[in-house]
Amino acid sequence: MPINFSTYLTQLNDALVAENGSNLAYLLRPTSPHGKDLVKEFRNPTLASLDYYKGSIQSPWDDIAIRYVLTCSHVAKRRCEDAFKEHSVLVARFLTYFPENRGWTLPALFSILRDLRDLAFDADNFAKGYGQKSDCMEEAARAIAKAFGSCCQDRVSPPEQSRKWGVYYVVGLVLKCYFKIRRISLSKNILRALEANKDIPDLSLYPRSHQVTFRYYLGMLNFLNEDYARAEEELTLAFYHCHVEAQANQERVLTYLLPLRLLKGQLPSDELLSRFPIIRELFEPFISAIRKGDVATFDKALEHWEKKLLELNLWLTLEKAREICLRGLFRKVYVVSSFSSRIPISLFHSGLRIAGIEVDQEETECLLANMIYKGFMRGYISHEKQMVVLANTNAFPKLAERAQPFEYA
Amino acid sequence: MSSSASTSKAKSEDKPVSADENKQDARPHLGVLEEDDEFEEFAAADWDDSQTDLAHLGGAAPGAAKSGGDKLWEDNWDDDDVEDEFSVQLRNELTKTGKGGDAMEH
Repeated sequence: MPINFSTYLTQLNDALVAENGSNLAYLLRPTSPHGKDLVKEFRNPTLASLDYYKGSIQSPWDDIAIRYVLTCSHVAKRRCEDAFKEHSVLVARFLTYFPENRGWTLPALFSILRDLRDLAFDADNFAKGYGQKSDCMEEAARAIAKAFGSCCQDRVSPPEQSRKWGVYYVVGLVLKCYFKIRRISLSKNILRALEANKDIPDLSLYPRSHQVTFRYYLGMLNFLNEDYARAEEELTLAFYHCHVEAQANQERVLTYLLPLRLLKGQLPSDELLSRFPIIRELFEPFISAIRKGDVATFDKALEHWEKKLLELNLWLTLEKAREICLRGLFRKVYVVSSFSSRIPISLFHSGLRIAGIEVDQEETECLLANMIYKGFMRGYISHEKQMVVLANTNAFPKLAERAQPFEYA
Repeated sequence: MSSSASTSKAKSEDKPVSADENKQDARPHLGVLEEDDEFEEFAAADWDDSQTDLAHLGGAAPGAAKSGGDKLWEDNWDDDDVEDEFSVQLRNELTKTGKGGDAMEH
């Protein structure tokens, strides 16, 4: 049965009295069925034409209800930017109510912020389609960052009813906005604020969806800052705590986790790759080249996927993983020379040539020196004798055993 | 970038890569893996271990490799008995030239 605006106001009021956050969320969602009913009821509503309803329920909910109708109406008529603007006002009004109330409001907060971001996304996309500039996502990010502040600052509610339980979800949304508008440096402020608030409950106590999203973005931020150790740690936790049916999210995490694992000396098993065909398509050539120590094939893969890797910010990481492949090639030379502890540089040079890597002997020496310096090989080079003298034991340490696997400088 | 130089790519879907190429014009391979992909909203807010990849670990640390009880990763693929084409060729060269071992070149 269609509901009219008076019924809607009553339901809104009931949800507030009952402190029913999920009902409130439902009532404020532009995609809920009653949204269409209200659009039909008013046809062309304006702020002025709805002014009559001011004061019909407690402030700011009268205004919130009015903004809701206006948002729905704009959405129905595909006026993306107007829809975003009205919903922004709704959110701003909600944020005056929010700090006065406890955590029961969080489902509603999450829902309206998510809608805010989605509407900003549509508005910016729509404007872009017409070649116009649009800053809705930036505006959304500001509003969501403000909501984050209100979540942090709850000093009154009892712990289990604290607005602090909204912190990580909201941070996840802010970071998502920053990534979208490519203003990743803004994330620092948020992370600093998070650290400064010592009384925020431990991340592991939050719902898994909040944990995983937050760790994904934290991992990505560390990845982009080339703090690979920290990135690997966060992305690992994101991957393992992710719901297995959230395939796209697991894929997204693996896209960055897998190359980091390569650098660490860990290859994905067939079982893992078979679950993620898209990941397999991109990385399989690199993985099989590493397995075989086939540097030429690795280079071909780098060339083949260059554009995609650059797009994904992964080119540099894979380029570093080439050293893992080169180590494999040199180790094969070592195997062929029957694990001799003295191998002429010229043999490594021949190895490179046979493998299709055209370098001269000097460069070969340089590559070897680099391998030794980085701990891939143990030994030293006698430049005079043009000889590599390898340690009698553990000349090629296991990759995973290297103390600082991410030190590739 | 280091590369094996002369190998020209034959596959038809390959497009020449240029630095200024806009991302719109070529989206050839992975339908799904794109830089603009967003981390999606989860359908549920919370779930337990049995619905995650922690489930198969049997208590092992996530991210250890097979040797550490995590079958999703392996950390040892070194082979002491390689008989691929590369090794055969290199071995031939070794016999031919008498390089290797302690044979000094100069």
